[in-house]
Amino acid sequence: MIHETELNRFSNQVRAIPDGEPLDMCYSCGTCTSKCMIQQKLDPEYNPRRLLHMVMLDMREEAYNHPTIWLCSECDICYPACPQKIHISGVLMAVRSLAVQDGKRSLIEPAQVDEQTCVACGLCVAVCPYDAIELVNKKIPYRGLINVAQVNSAKCMACGLCGAVCRSTSIGIHAEFSNDKVVGDLWKWLNPLPEVTI
Amino acid sequence: MVDAARQPKIDVRAFTEVERVEGFVGNFKVTFREKAKYVRADRCNGCGDCAKVCPIEVPNYFEMNLAPRKAAYVPMSQSVPLIYSIDMDACIHCYKCVEACGPLEAIDFSQQDKLATEDIGAIIVATGFSHFDPSVMEEYGYGKFPNVITSMEMERLNNSAGPTNGNLVRPTDHKNPAKLAFINCVGSRDKRYNESCSNFCCMYSIKNAVLLKQVNPSLDITIYYMDIRTPSKGYEEFYDRARKMGIKFIQGRPSLITEDQATHNLTVHSEDVSLGKVIDHEYDMVMLNQAAIPQPDQGHVSSVLNVVQSPGGWFMEYHPKLRPMDSPTDGIFFAGACQGPKDIPASVAQGSAAASRAGRILHSDKWQIEPTVAVVWPDRCVSAQGRPCGICAKACPYGAIDYEQGRAALVISAKCHGCGACVGECPHDSITQLHYTDAQLLAQVRALLATEPEKKILAFRCHWCSYGGADLAGTSHFEYSANERGIKVMCSARMDSDFIYEAYRLGAGGVLYSGCHPQDCHYITGQVIGAKRAQRLSAMFERMQMTPGRFRVEWISAAEGDKYARVVNEMQAVLDSMSPEQLHNEIERLRPEMTKRLNRFPNVPGVQVAMDFSDGLSTRMISKEQLV
Repeated sequence: MIHETELNRFSNQVRAIPDGEPLDMCYSCGTCTSKCMIQQKLDPEYNPRRLLHMVMLDMREEAYNHPTIWLCSECDICYPACPQKIHISGVLMAVRSLAVQDGKRSLIEPAQVDEQTCVACGLCVAVCPYDAIELVNKKIPYRGLINVAQVNSAKCMACGLCGAVCRSTSIGIHAEFSNDKVVGDLWKWLNPLPEVTI
Repeated sequence: MVDAARQPKIDVRAFTEVERVEGFVGNFKVTFREKAKYVRADRCNGCGDCAKVCPIEVPNYFEMNLAPRKAAYVPMSQSVPLIYSIDMDACIHCYKCVEACGPLEAIDFSQQDKLATEDIGAIIVATGFSHFDPSVMEEYGYGKFPNVITSMEMERLNNSAGPTNGNLVRPTDHKNPAKLAFINCVGSRDKRYNESCSNFCCMYSIKNAVLLKQVNPSLDITIYYMDIRTPSKGYEEFYDRARKMGIKFIQGRPSLITEDQATHNLTVHSEDVSLGKVIDHEYDMVMLNQAAIPQPDQGHVSSVLNVVQSPGGWFMEYHPKLRPMDSPTDGIFFAGACQGPKDIPASVAQGSAAASRAGRILHSDKWQIEPTVAVVWPDRCVSAQGRPCGICAKACPYGAIDYEQGRAALVISAKCHGCGACVGECPHDSITQLHYTDAQLLAQVRALLATEPEKKILAFRCHWCSYGGADLAGTSHFEYSANERGIKVMCSARMDSDFIYEAYRLGAGGVLYSGCHPQDCHYITGQVIGAKRAQRLSAMFERMQMTPGRFRVEWISAAEGDKYARVVNEMQAVLDSMSPEQLHNEIERLRPEMTKRLNRFPNVPGVQVAMDFSDGLSTRMISKEQLV
């Protein structure tokens, strides 16, 4: 019989979530890590193999604070490559949902909504691949009780798709890849400024 | 091989297939098909003149298709017997070989396949293994990048008798490589292809690396591995030696190989698990250590010999630990990798063991069989009365029952292993199993349920697994309900529904139907037959609205003592949750149906005696003659 304390163990909590079951099959071959685009392009610290190992060893805090669970975009390139057929992003999502339940905040800065200009057209809701945006009825200063888009920060992966489709530039990621910066870069590529010499 | 050919008592028959196997241990009748070689074995002296003049060249399978061979050929230069044959698929009938052969007149285009049947005492199967084709793993680019080769190809390239005379060269530019990578576990330990470990590849890749390093110490060799497995005597020392020689080991399974189109060099992309970093290294050549897999025609051989295959496709042994060289069919033995991937020492050990096992049969006049064989009562068998049946013959995992409509079924005792599947299946109770007769088992059921049956849990355990599991539960001190009462039978297939009806008729609280896991069954498919019956019974009790948990079907291995204890405790919990009235009412409700289903049971010889005996609750002993 499984005792109450056993159920509270971090690894058992992950195993109890449907995609977390095959966790123990991992034999640390490293295929997932070397397949991962995020590891190669974004963050060398990102490592699904290590995260799975942390879960197996019940290292709850370390796993919650590791960039892996927050940066995974569920592209599932690692899934068909895994020799043990572990749905790795599923395990990562299981850990992420536990982290959110435990009050952890994503390391990713979510998309921001400008509530003064949002017209609640719903385009961003339709395109968001992570189901992170919904329209809510709320009271906005100067505008009264109206519908506006609201971003669920636990789900947002800051891909920027909402910003790309928004017709009133009311939503978008405001960090490194804000609309202004991307547009500025595009202008620079299209019309390179002549070198000024004095 | 040469020694075997010289030994007068060994008859080597090359190019011959086993077509049919009939009979039983010591008395097999084997039909061989000796294939046409188009060369007369009594005249050919192996001079090879025919091959020299043959104008046709086809890929040489033995050289992993890296070199050609002629249509008149021997598979390899060390072939035993050294007799040439002509590949009719390639031959263009120019008859140059006939001219070259000259006065020997060994070439005979009129040869046909010959069929011959012989008496054989024992059979040893040594069909070996095949290798996994890595071209299905696109990430490694085998077949696409010429410098990615398999270990078997590497073996030929590095062999002094091979196509390059032992000079390892790159297939693209024929230059000697300076940087080499070996990738282990290609297609093995991989749920997408072959789940199991191929056993010898770790040692095999280390061996190849050491051989190459001995020839050229300046070679840069890296072995990519997931785990290095060096479990036998001297193996770890060999691994140490490889590391001392400067061979690099990287723990990490490569996920991608890319090719530089100009130089045809290869970049291996993997995580170095020890560093926790993703690394790219460039190599001149990459060797894939592909998985060992069963021979493609293993299924055909298993159907010819009536032996079974394990889930992975290898031949299944009688017992994985205690009788790894015996097949479940007496008189047929396994040697080497056909039973599972194994290295040379293990194959030699198994081969010698199989030979001595076979010798034991050939040197004995009598063969001991299990005392628990099945016996048919000819007067009860419906086939003798002309009615079609044959259920027993279908149930028998060994094909030991000779059935023909119009006469009573006959059990061939030499083939029978005493599982009791036929006994459990026979709808007319016309077969019995010695030492596990219906009457004996019924007497046990009645004795165990003589007092307070509603509190008892009657457990039917198979001899090999569940009985061992219950035993382990006891020796490991796992506590389980003291109300459990066990009855041992040889196999779950013997657990006749009559016993279960009788148990419920007498008012048993619960009945546990337990046996081996399907892959562990010691009687090939006995568990499958038992499982089907158990399923029928479960469905029936469900229809009768019996409380769920009073009849349990569980497959418990001899290593699962904890599971046995848990199952019994769960059944006890179900009984505890019912009030005595509720249980009593349910037993009374089921009793008429159980009685109805048992109405023909007392006609079985011995059963009535057993019933009278336990009904009378007397202590008198029944003579054996009365029981059987």
